[in-house]
Amino acid sequence: MTKIRFHIYILLLFCSVNFSAHSSNFLEEENFVTSFAESAISILSNDSFSEAERTSSFTELVMSSIDLNLISKFVLSKAWKNASDEQKEKYLIAFKDYFVSSYANKLDQYTGEKVDVIGSQEAGKYVIVESNIIREGTDTLKINLKWRLLNKDNQIKIIDLNIEGISLVIAQREEFQSFLANNDYDLDKLIEKIVSVSD
Amino acid sequence: MNLRILLVVIIGSTLIFQGCTSKGTELSSSLSQQEVPTVNDPFEKVNRVVFSFNIIFDKIILRPIAVTYKAVIPGFVRNRITYSLNNLSMPITAVNNLLQGELRKAGVSTSRFIINSTVGLMGFFDPASSIGLMTETEDFGQTLSVWGVSSGPYVVLPFLGPSNPRDFAGLLSTSLLDPMYQIGGGSASDSLRTYRLGTGAVDFRSQNVEILDDLQNNSIDYYAAVRSFYSQGRESQASSNLEIDSSEQENDIFDDFEMDESYVGPDIEITYD
Repeated sequence: MTKIRFHIYILLLFCSVNFSAHSSNFLEEENFVTSFAESAISILSNDSFSEAERTSSFTELVMSSIDLNLISKFVLSKAWKNASDEQKEKYLIAFKDYFVSSYANKLDQYTGEKVDVIGSQEAGKYVIVESNIIREGTDTLKINLKWRLLNKDNQIKIIDLNIEGISLVIAQREEFQSFLANNDYDLDKLIEKIVSVSD
Repeated sequence: MNLRILLVVIIGSTLIFQGCTSKGTELSSSLSQQEVPTVNDPFEKVNRVVFSFNIIFDKIILRPIAVTYKAVIPGFVRNRITYSLNNLSMPITAVNNLLQGELRKAGVSTSRFIINSTVGLMGFFDPASSIGLMTETEDFGQTLSVWGVSSGPYVVLPFLGPSNPRDFAGLLSTSLLDPMYQIGGGSASDSLRTYRLGTGAVDFRSQNVEILDDLQNNSIDYYAAVRSFYSQGRESQASSNLEIDSSEQENDIFDDFEMDESYVGPDIEITYD
């Protein structure tokens, strides 16, 4: 399965959704993933969009569906606690640009993969919705996707995406921690690096 | 004779790594008060050097081949290759299913191999899946993990990339013991080995051209990103074999975080429109 593990790092939502029979423990959350993917696909497959329009519509959808504040703090981990208010604000802005730049200008790579929501389960405070992406041109080569959702004040937000056992948020967090460990835990250096990578 | 070397390697490496891992466990438990689980990577300096070497090798040789392969060979054919590689790994998967005590899965892997090698035209098609015979590939690294051997420290191997002592021992055993290589023998087994190694590398790389390019360009620390991907991926395969809830450890990490109000407190929030 290693072979297809990286296949969709960026294809966060390059997906349309198939409906099929499955056990629905958390219908509301499953529908959230379904409609999120449907909105994403309609943006990605809309040929009348220019590249810039597509990126901005997509960003609008993503920002309204994920809890970026929470993710930003989570990936910074301990360093968030020790940061000054000025650093925190600089970091939040830098991380958002970094996040957007990771998919901007690549949204035309969508090749019609299908997503099947196959179930959901509780995981502490979170609900995990499980789905499969079927590789284009085959019916049996699948990639497993798990969406970690948080329902706070009746608002569902995406917290993490796990692809074939790899949590993108945990990977991001380990990357930041590694950078900090190799740079005297200097948060300013990390922020500088984040800004330079997203340019 | 091969078998004897193999056993020495496995037992030797297992003992050495058990040593490493028990230290690792102590380390991580003493650090569990902190919120970041430590990465078991005591050889990071050497690993980073080998990693840089691998990147150059990839840039000069592997990536260009993979890009050309993808450009020249139609998707339909590339999918056939993926299926055929999967089929060739079924015999060793069946052996590992047995070693893990999974009789039913061993039956599925064997049936898959027989059906896809014949009806599936030498494995280029996958009729077995259409009749419900589906299974994950298994290697000796996963079997060792089922036997309770911990992964040991993260190691980057020249050419082969991310690994650890457990998975490396598994890799050696696979190349020596794979039943595919007992068939025919001599030159037939050599060309089969070459096909799997060469085509396998190109097949994997060609599926990940854009993804790895993006990852490399967008990384704050590419080495750490790859390390995390590899370790998380192998852990999740191991826990699925042990029938542990693979997301359990992940849940703990997220829960620890959420409970600490000083992180999630609304001291600084930005609105994204």
